[in-house]
Amino acid sequence: MVHALTEAQRVLKPNGILIDLRSAAKHRCAGLGERKRWKLVGVMREDFADDIAADRAVKQVVREGLFQQESLVEFDLDRVMDTLQDLRAWLDDFSTDKLPSHDWLYQRVERALEKKRDGTKIAVRGLMRLRLLRKVEH
Amino acid sequence: MALVMDPVEDEIRALKGITNWHGKRVLEVGCGDGRLTLRLAKFNPEKIIAFDPDPKLIRTARKNLPEKYKGRIEYRVGNAEHVKQKPDLFDVVIFSWVL
Repeated sequence: MVHALTEAQRVLKPNGILIDLRSAAKHRCAGLGERKRWKLVGVMREDFADDIAADRAVKQVVREGLFQQESLVEFDLDRVMDTLQDLRAWLDDFSTDKLPSHDWLYQRVERALEKKRDGTKIAVRGLMRLRLLRKVEH
Repeated sequence: MALVMDPVEDEIRALKGITNWHGKRVLEVGCGDGRLTLRLAKFNPEKIIAFDPDPKLIRTARKNLPEKYKGRIEYRVGNAEHVKQKPDLFDVVIFSWVL
């Protein structure tokens, strides 16, 4: 990760900026409905080891004087799905040896969806972090 | 079946607000199938070079590249740790879900 950040610093023009866009280390939430009508159904269980390592790498390059942090913005990002099959396919990507299965969440969404009218969307909401780092000249 | 990412465009609003992209040379690292690249192109940067280590995703991105962006967006296979670019070339480097 530090190597990737160093490469970015190398190819940036003087005073250029690096934007680091990724999920915050916070469990995503599955719910029903969209935007302000969204209702929480269950919270995922995720492994944040990579996110924590990435945060450390960013801190390291700032400490070493390659970049200085200028701003940090957080916002919610929704993934809106039409069907339970979409949710299943998406949750399957999280099935690893390190992580527990999300079958319980799928079933909870399925039960909640049965009580809703046709066409209700499933939405997974997660916090995103957008960091702006400026290249430091030496 | 469909999954729509960021239908209300909170992501693109945040990206637009964080810097001025107009006329800039942009390197996007981890472009995947080009979903974000096409959104960034709407900010009128001079050029976007976007790469991803997965050749399949780069093929998809190239296939989905609208005619109007040909010449302004270039997709390449590559990884973040060995950027095959000369030094001091880009105004903005964006890591999209890479670190």
